[in-house]
Amino acid sequence: MGNADLRDLATIEEVPWDELDPGVVAVDAHNWLYRYLTTTVRFTNESVYTTAAGDEVANLVGIVQGLPKFFEHDLTPVFVFDGGPSELKADEIAERREQREQLEDRLEDAREEGDAAEVARLDSATQRLTDVIQETSRELLSLLDVPVVEAPAEGEAQAAHMAARGDVEYVGTEDYDALLFGAPVTLRQLTSKGNPERMDLDATLRDLDLTREQLVDVAILCGTDFNDGVRGYGPKTALKAVREHGDLWGVMEHEDVVVENADLVRELFFDPDVTSDYAFDTTISPDVDAARAYVSDEWEVPAEEVSRGFERIEDALTQTGLDDWT
Amino acid sequence: MFKAIVSADTLKTTLDSVSVLVDECKIHLEEDGLEIRAVDPANVGMVDLSLSADAFESYEADGGLIGVNLSRLEDIAGMADAGQLVSLELDEETRKLHIQIDGLEYTLTLIDPDSIRQEPDIPDLDLAAEVVVEGKDINRAVKAADMVSDHIALGVDGSNETFYIDAEGDADDVHLELDRDDLIDLSAADAHSLFSLDYLKDMDKAIPKDAEVTMELGEEFPVKMHFDIAEGMGHVTFMLAPRIQSN
Repeated sequence: MGNADLRDLATIEEVPWDELDPGVVAVDAHNWLYRYLTTTVRFTNESVYTTAAGDEVANLVGIVQGLPKFFEHDLTPVFVFDGGPSELKADEIAERREQREQLEDRLEDAREEGDAAEVARLDSATQRLTDVIQETSRELLSLLDVPVVEAPAEGEAQAAHMAARGDVEYVGTEDYDALLFGAPVTLRQLTSKGNPERMDLDATLRDLDLTREQLVDVAILCGTDFNDGVRGYGPKTALKAVREHGDLWGVMEHEDVVVENADLVRELFFDPDVTSDYAFDTTISPDVDAARAYVSDEWEVPAEEVSRGFERIEDALTQTGLDDWT
Repeated sequence: MFKAIVSADTLKTTLDSVSVLVDECKIHLEEDGLEIRAVDPANVGMVDLSLSADAFESYEADGGLIGVNLSRLEDIAGMADAGQLVSLELDEETRKLHIQIDGLEYTLTLIDPDSIRQEPDIPDLDLAAEVVVEGKDINRAVKAADMVSDHIALGVDGSNETFYIDAEGDADDVHLELDRDDLIDLSAADAHSLFSLDYLKDMDKAIPKDAEVTMELGEEFPVKMHFDIAEGMGHVTFMLAPRIQSN
C-alpha cells in the first residue's frame, strides 16, 4: 500500500546520529509514542507499566527512553500532538470519522488477508491514545520542559507545515506521508536502536524529476491513507504515467483510470488543516527530580526502569557546547 | 603540492592530539606548516593545532587541503620506531598520500574534505585566571578525580592564589590544591567551572607529561589549555565547554 510504495520512491539515506546536523525536530507525537507503546508493552513485562488501578503508562517509559537520543545529539524535539475532535468543525469531524472508518474497514480486510505489516500500520493509524496516555505524556514533557505544539488536526501535517515554514529543521515520524505533506527533511527510526533515516523532499523530487504536485499524484495512484490506489498502479507504473501525462488528470484522461474525489484527496496534502499560530521555546531546563517523582511515585513505574534514561537526559542537558561562546 | 619528511615521534604526537577528539580531520598544508582545527560531534571539545615547517626534516607545501582518517594514519605512523623518519607525499591526481617508512610504502586514500564536519569557529573567550602547570599534574588530578566522579571542577582562588581541582562522587570526594610554589606560573583571579571527565581524560592522554601547560579559566566558562609540541615548533590548544552547575 501507500507507505511501502513511497519508500521505493523517496530519497532516503541512513545517517548516524552523530552526523545529523543539530536542529529542532517537530515530532509527530502520536506516531512516536505509538512506537514506544507497541514495543514497550509488547516485548516486556506488562505489569511494570500498569498501575494498581489498571492504567497502562508505558508512554512514560517511552518518553524517558526516547528523549536522551535527541539531547545527546543536539536535536531539540518539539512534540506535535493531534488535535482533539472538540477543536474540529462539525463537518470535519464527520470527515475524519469517515476516514477512520475506512481505515478500520481496510484493517479488517488486511487481517483477513493475514498481512501482518499492513495490520501493524493500520493499527497505528486507528489507535487512539487513551486519555491517561495523552494527559500523562503532556505532563511529563512539561516537567522536562520539552515544548509541545497542539495541531488543529493531524500532528504529522502540522509538523510538516512547521518544517516547510522553516521554523524547525526536521519532521520526526515513521510515516512516509510527511513527504507528501511537504516536509523538506524527515527523520525516521528515531525510536529504533540503529541509525535514523533521513528522507529528503528536494532530493526525491530531483532524483525522480517530478514536481511535488506530480509526486502527490503518483502517490494517489498507488494509494494513500486517504484513498485506495488504482489496481495495477505500483510506483513504477504510476511514475511513468504521471511523467507521460503531466498530472493525475492527464492520466485519468488518457489511461483507463478513475480516482474518486481526486481533487479532494490532493487537497488533503496541499491544504491540510494546520495552523501557523504556534510558539515554542527551545531552551530546555528540565526539572528532572520532579519528573522522576511524577513517573515513579505518582504513576508507579519502578524507579530502576527509568533511572538510566533520566541520568542521560540530565547529563546531555547540563553539558554546554563550545558554540555557545562563538 | 605537498612533500615532507618528519620524525615518527612528531607525527604521532601531532595525530594523537587530534584523534582524542575526532576520527577524521582536515589538514591545511600551508607554506609555513600544518594546521588542524577540529571539534567533536557534540561540540564540547575542540583542538586547534599548528605544526611549523621547522618541525620537519624537510617541508614543501603550497596551501592545499586534505582530509584524513586519523586512526589509519596513526596505524601507519605506528609502524615506525620512535627515531625513524616518515616521508609523506601527496599525489594530487589520485588524491592519495604516499607514505614511506624505511622501505615500507603505504598509499593512503584520502577523504574528501567536504565530507568532513565543518571546522569550528574559535570561541571568543575572555578568561581572567591563568595557571601554568606541568602535564603530569594534570594527569594526576584527572586520574584521582576519575576514581570518584564523572565530573571535575577546575578553579582558581583569587585571594589565596591557589589552583584547585574538586571531584565529588556519591560517596567519596577528591580535592587537589596547588599554590604558587607548586605552579610554574599563576595569574590569579576567581574562576570555577565544571567539566566532563570523559573529555578531560581524552585530552589528558594527548598532553605530554613534561609539557608546560597553560590553563586559562573563567567562571562557568570553557577552559583553554595550550602547550608546545615538537620542541616548541608546534602548538596545541584544547578548549572544553563546561557543564552547567546545578544548585
